[in-house]
Amino acid sequence: MNVFGPLVSVTLRGVLGRRRLLLMLLLVALPVAIGLLVRLAGGRPDAGVILDNLVVRMVLPLVALVLGTAALGSEIDDGTVVYLLVKPIARRWIILATALVASGVTAVLVVPSAVLTGLLTAGIGSASLTTTFAFAVACLLGGIAYSSAFLALSTVTSRALVIGLVYTLIWEGIVAGLLEGTRFLSIRQATLGVAAALGGKRPGSEPLEPAISFVILAVVTVGALVIATRQLARFEVRGGD
Amino acid sequence: MTIDDPRMTTPPVVPALQLDHVSRWYGNVVAVNDVSFALGPGVTGLLGPNGAGKSTLLHLMAGLLRPSAGQVLVRGRSAWRDPAIYADIGLVPEKEAVHPYLSGYEFALLNAQLHGVAEPAAAAVRAIETVDLADAAHRPTGTYSKGMRQRAKIAGALVHDPTVLLLDEPFNGMDPRQRLHMMDLLRSMAAAGRTILFSSHILEEVERLADSILVVHAGRLAAAGDYRSIRRLMTDRPHTFTVRSSDDRRLATALIADPAVFGAELADGRLSVSTSDYAAFTHILPRVAAASGISLHEVAPTNDSLESVFSYLVSR
Repeated sequence: MNVFGPLVSVTLRGVLGRRRLLLMLLLVALPVAIGLLVRLAGGRPDAGVILDNLVVRMVLPLVALVLGTAALGSEIDDGTVVYLLVKPIARRWIILATALVASGVTAVLVVPSAVLTGLLTAGIGSASLTTTFAFAVACLLGGIAYSSAFLALSTVTSRALVIGLVYTLIWEGIVAGLLEGTRFLSIRQATLGVAAALGGKRPGSEPLEPAISFVILAVVTVGALVIATRQLARFEVRGGD
Repeated sequence: MTIDDPRMTTPPVVPALQLDHVSRWYGNVVAVNDVSFALGPGVTGLLGPNGAGKSTLLHLMAGLLRPSAGQVLVRGRSAWRDPAIYADIGLVPEKEAVHPYLSGYEFALLNAQLHGVAEPAAAAVRAIETVDLADAAHRPTGTYSKGMRQRAKIAGALVHDPTVLLLDEPFNGMDPRQRLHMMDLLRSMAAAGRTILFSSHILEEVERLADSILVVHAGRLAAAGDYRSIRRLMTDRPHTFTVRSSDDRRLATALIADPAVFGAELADGRLSVSTSDYAAFTHILPRVAAASGISLHEVAPTNDSLESVFSYLVSR
């Protein structure tokens, strides 16, 4: 489809605004900086603990939230989405292009952050490398699921950023940790399950089964893209007289 | 071969745009109320005061709003949820926003690419030149003036050579020279067989450009058809003038004898005169006053806002 390239290009330019990019770079640099400080102080903490607490619980959802809600949500908010919609193209191409940009940029920012943080805190021993690799892959897959979910949220509500933040901080941060059954509704838990399946288990944790984790991430991603496409197909402009 | 043979019948003419008893409401608020019309080639002005429902109508025609009742057809196809109609449509929305990081040329190019135009770069250059934006073509639209952004939006709407052009307040922010240029462009496109519908709340804009008009007020279609006949209706409607003179009572008596005057009332120290012929009254008044030896201190038309014109058309 020859409209895919232009759609990706315009979304990418919209997402990579100077201030937003700077904010994201600062966010992903945070775990690396902490890893570096720990290393310089002579500490050798478990890489799994650092990657779990700093990257998977904090950096990954926040980066995906900002990028996922901005990819299409900012165009919906400022009205420029109309220029994409009044074209003879299937709505799924617009969603796929924006999802690719949101998850791609999330991966480009978070995966190197995970790798550097893992290497700095745990070194390059065989076990450490396995843990780092496991979390890098988990961040990649979790990032795709998170950004797709937040992209879909931005097509449903203009308050996607706030709702996404509540989901991340309240649901995933508190509820999913307290109530066993709700772990299946947590992208974070599924991401940690993937990391554990690939050898990145945090000591003392009880992650979700590998198969269940992969299925949750796949269902969230596909479901979110289907919902977003349906929402865009029946999109109605706001305002006007 | 019988007369029923389909090859013998003339295919029905499908209007470029057709609204059939279309309404649109938001909760309890009715934005568009039972509007029907059909448009073919030519320039049509969609005239109405702010808040009349012009943008809602254009959004319905552009498939960006679902009709609450009725049907909107573009070349015989439903406008709602059918992206294929956009091959025929060029839309200039009222909202000013254009991707601020794109230059005018990049914006036109993006539109050409998304429309699947065969040579998008050449089409974008042509569209930019058509709207007289070549000098600023490679500057980000975020640095453009309102009029330049408006022209960039028009370039984006023209780039795939649509047969139906929907423009929401297209002359907003343009200087008089750009306005004239754009009017010439739209006229030549209409002469080439395009269907052009533009909204405006400025009567003079519509007067200069439109062959026919649709007048909307409070969501209803108040009048539709040839511009001149509707203009005549507007001009011939009852007008009221407030007059202050050296002797209001005697002037009222003198004026009421004229057939163009159908009412005169003295209230709050002012004379209020009603006439059915605006032009005739402006000639009669000084003549009658002079003949009666009365000095005119003040003459002011009342209820002459567009709002009152539209209200009058709706109430007819």
